[in-house]
Amino acid sequence: MRAVEAVVAAIKNKSNSLQALTAAALLLPGLLQSPQAAAEENEVDFQYGHYQEGYRNLYGAQSKFDPIEVDSLHGSAKITLADRIKLSLNYSEDTWSGATPITTAPLVFDANRAILKTTGRGKNAVTTVVGASPYVQSGQLFVDRNFNPINYNLFGTTKKQMYGAVNKQVVHTMSTASPETRQQGDFKLGYEWDEMALNVGGGISVERDYESRFVNLGSRWDFNQKQTSLNLGLSYTNSSTFAILDHFVTPYIEHNAFFKNYVDINPDSGKNKLSGQKEDWATQLSFSQVLNKSALIEFGAGYTRSTGYMSNPYKLVEIFFVDPKQKTVALGLPKNVLAAGAPHAFLEQRPEERNQWNLNTHYAQHIDLLDAALHFDYRFYHDDWGINSHTFELDWGQPIGNSWMVTPRVRYYTQDSADFYTPYLISQQAYNKIIYNKKGVPIKSIPYDPNQLPSYFSSDQRLSGYGALSSGITVSKKFAKGLTLEAGFEYYTHKGALKLGGGGEGSYADFNYYTVNAALKVDLSTLANIRIADHSEHAGHAGHSAHSHHGGHAPAGVMFDHMLSQADDIMIGYRYMYGFQSGNMQHGADFVDDLTVRNNGCGQKRSEYCLVRATDHTMQMHMLDIMYAPTDWLNLMLMPQFMTMDMNFRAIPRVRIRIPTLDNELAQAVNHHISHEHATGGIGDTGMYALVKLFDNGEHHLHAGIGFSAPTGNVGIKYRPIHHGAGGDDLGFVHYGMQLGSGTWDFKPSVTYTGHLDDWSWGAQLSGTKRLEKQNKSGFALGNIFQSTVWGSYNIFDWLSTSVRGVYTTQGSIRGEYNEVHDKSSSFDYPANYGGQYWDVGFGVNATVTGGSFEGNHLAFEWLQPVSDKVNGFQLERQGALSLAWGYAF
Amino acid sequence: MNQRITILLSTLFFFLSIQTSIATETTGRVAPACEGSSIPDAKNYNLQQFKGKVVYVDFWASWCAPCVQSFPFMNSLEHEFKDKDFKVLAVNMDESAVDAQNFLKEHSAKFTVLNGSDQRCAKAFDVKAMPSSYLIDRNGVIRHEHLGFRAGETGQLQQFIKQLLSESPASH
Amino acid sequence: MNKANRLFILWIFTASVSGCAEVAPWERGNLAKPQMALDPTPMQTGFRSHIYGSREAASGGDAGSGGGCGCY
Repeated sequence: MRAVEAVVAAIKNKSNSLQALTAAALLLPGLLQSPQAAAEENEVDFQYGHYQEGYRNLYGAQSKFDPIEVDSLHGSAKITLADRIKLSLNYSEDTWSGATPITTAPLVFDANRAILKTTGRGKNAVTTVVGASPYVQSGQLFVDRNFNPINYNLFGTTKKQMYGAVNKQVVHTMSTASPETRQQGDFKLGYEWDEMALNVGGGISVERDYESRFVNLGSRWDFNQKQTSLNLGLSYTNSSTFAILDHFVTPYIEHNAFFKNYVDINPDSGKNKLSGQKEDWATQLSFSQVLNKSALIEFGAGYTRSTGYMSNPYKLVEIFFVDPKQKTVALGLPKNVLAAGAPHAFLEQRPEERNQWNLNTHYAQHIDLLDAALHFDYRFYHDDWGINSHTFELDWGQPIGNSWMVTPRVRYYTQDSADFYTPYLISQQAYNKIIYNKKGVPIKSIPYDPNQLPSYFSSDQRLSGYGALSSGITVSKKFAKGLTLEAGFEYYTHKGALKLGGGGEGSYADFNYYTVNAALKVDLSTLANIRIADHSEHAGHAGHSAHSHHGGHAPAGVMFDHMLSQADDIMIGYRYMYGFQSGNMQHGADFVDDLTVRNNGCGQKRSEYCLVRATDHTMQMHMLDIMYAPTDWLNLMLMPQFMTMDMNFRAIPRVRIRIPTLDNELAQAVNHHISHEHATGGIGDTGMYALVKLFDNGEHHLHAGIGFSAPTGNVGIKYRPIHHGAGGDDLGFVHYGMQLGSGTWDFKPSVTYTGHLDDWSWGAQLSGTKRLEKQNKSGFALGNIFQSTVWGSYNIFDWLSTSVRGVYTTQGSIRGEYNEVHDKSSSFDYPANYGGQYWDVGFGVNATVTGGSFEGNHLAFEWLQPVSDKVNGFQLERQGALSLAWGYAF
Repeated sequence: MNQRITILLSTLFFFLSIQTSIATETTGRVAPACEGSSIPDAKNYNLQQFKGKVVYVDFWASWCAPCVQSFPFMNSLEHEFKDKDFKVLAVNMDESAVDAQNFLKEHSAKFTVLNGSDQRCAKAFDVKAMPSSYLIDRNGVIRHEHLGFRAGETGQLQQFIKQLLSESPASH
Repeated sequence: MNKANRLFILWIFTASVSGCAEVAPWERGNLAKPQMALDPTPMQTGFRSHIYGSREAASGGDAGSGGGCGCY
């Protein structure tokens, strides 16, 4: 016993360093209460999601506007920078288009009116309804003495026929928008101690008319050997709205009244800009507790304070001004009827302050019998706009076998309406009261008293009382090598009648939607572990990667550049391409001025000329690159793509040319082009290829690629139909270059040679794209492409190389043309102005991680600089292209 | 409102400080008795029988992700010090023996794995986290306790093992 | 406002005193399973929350990393 004590004493004196380490180690995350807290995790994830809304009930109005749909792309990387330092990076992108309610009005006001289109002439003329156009102002409404709308029949011959019964039915006024996009990038950097974690994050989200930046701070404390944890989060968001009000609706909007501190509308070169600022401070505290071996619970509470402009600049409230003292007899109305006239559309006005509280509980129970997990969530929400809401969610996570997981889910949400929510407003005063003198001559008019209107009003159905029921299922499959595929589906029903306690909004506001999503998760840690385990079998310590590609990788812009050399290998890669056009207009190899473009860029007839010219055109492509080697001489590849395009125009100045008066339609087209950025986005074409090894002696390598590109990208994107009347001001299809794919099945062969000697490597590739169909469903086919490229690269270090590359590309012009309405206003609308011959030089950097937990990851950048172009017809000058590629083979 | 939040937060911080102060000292005490049968060959082992050797005792389970990551490291320890007086004893804490066996089929263990499902070893060591590892010197004294597993901390562990191997046993 | 504050504090209090059995670190095999994670599908949750946030009034109030109006 004494001996032992002596030893302990000796140790205590001797090993200060040991004690120091032990003290530090006590701060470590020991048990992972959830697998998310695993000691080291490196993960790359990709997700695609689609949201599709159903048609709204317009009570007989023949709206052919497609309901709103959203395509959403998400990529994220979680990286362990050092043992306790973690970084996560996220990028997401949404593109949406379709119809949404802009306001609400009594059905008898008839706000959704048919857009008619007449085709043929004289006797053969046929008028069809091509859609419904929103009317926010012109029209008439009559109400009874209780201010309830009544049916009105203009063609009635008697008062009884003209002025009918009370009709309280209201209906949304639908309006549609051309495609819009949102892009968001954010990061989170965290440090972990044994029983505490701290993270900081930030990000930015950008839309054409809305931008928001945010920072956040989070921390976690663990107690009780991690049976208890406490999370505290704080975030700050600053958002700006800078909306150009809808130029089709603006003339009918009342926007001069009301706006106070945050909003500022100024007529800027004929556009009405609304700009507002908003700030949010949010804090969230949560507490989770292990209850027993199979259950845990979490309680959370949060508070958010928002100040500033919180209205939606595109939502309107219809206000009908009814003078109760109007002389109904003089107006020829029955005694019990009042004329409400035409409504006045006001921009919605929400309070400039909002305080929100929420409380939530999450309970998770393991069901031992089925190895399943039951999750129950309840959230209570309260804000000072008068909204209380409850959310209940039940999930059942059921593993099947070793690798499958099926999770059905049901969710119920209910909310009260905001205090200031109203479908529309009736103000009991005249909009303009005309004062007559004794002789009956009008002498002055008294405008309405704004103080008689409510301070705040919104007809946004999201602020109405309703309930929503949704259910969905998620299926995931884990593959042996650390890959997980996940797919989900959810169907959602929004109904006034589903509101808890009743009293919800009428059924006119009901709608449904569904979402589908698919995700691919690549767990780099598991893969790295398999790799280490494989090596330790042989050597006892990690040596060189068995998967390194001799000769290194080709520059980032080269596809199909390498093959997996071992059977059963998989590579997951991601490619991003950014192409930018701006500056001069080009004809052949020469720059041309606006006048030349105007006269010759849009067709050869004297009557044809360009109204606008593009100032810039951006193409972004995200591509997933999945490669599998069934044998060592054959590789199969699958490459889904996600595209985003945008474009800006300006009017061509009216110089030295006699301009015929533009008809209304063309004037609208010009107005439309120069006042908006045009954007499209969504899934592009999907490539499927096979690479076949032809020759390989270790120094020289030759392989051929054959494959097809499937027309999964949309080629039918149109601008929204605008206005009404025969002929219809339908701009039709967007410019050819803004469609998301080719629309045709394409054959894509390639031959690639690569070689290497010491630190040098080189390669050459011939590739082509042959359209297999004469035209796609929209009536055209893109030109065939042939490309040849040669490159050389030098390894500066064993992990870093630089490359130089020459590229020659030739592409034919577009064949055929759009087979439906297409208003041509710029050179981009003419098939002859596509394709040409292009010479580029590329400069690239390639990096391959040669050790550590990211061993085998490959990252490359390349900038392609145009050297000389000889374009078909008239085109906007190319400024260059950036390629980025990441890949990991295992 | 602000005052209440302040009170609330200070209460939480108070609890936090209590929690950290009651962490018990493990290092410096004599390693407790620990015995069990090995997986899969079912031989009986007793920690006492390795007295005079440096022992690396690890508590792990198949469901614990960092434990998985520690396997290659323990294999390399076994390899590096195989000619020295060194022993890795990995005590498996899976409740179901099938889970452990399946895991060991997929992840080869070059070291001795003990069945610790009776929990006696873990309780005796007062295991605070999974994985937890203990370095026991030639005299049977716990000299280092390590919670969790991180690739970047393996170098230090190797240094300790070397240091403990260089010490000679105390005379009785 | 006051009522909400009181509720807030009561919530925290209830949460802190709720009793529970001691679960040793090695007994958390079930809790470590992926289906028992507080959020087993974080990416999908992100997508769904973004959609809910654009369709429901009560989206706010979480100190998330929220950004973007996506006002469709």
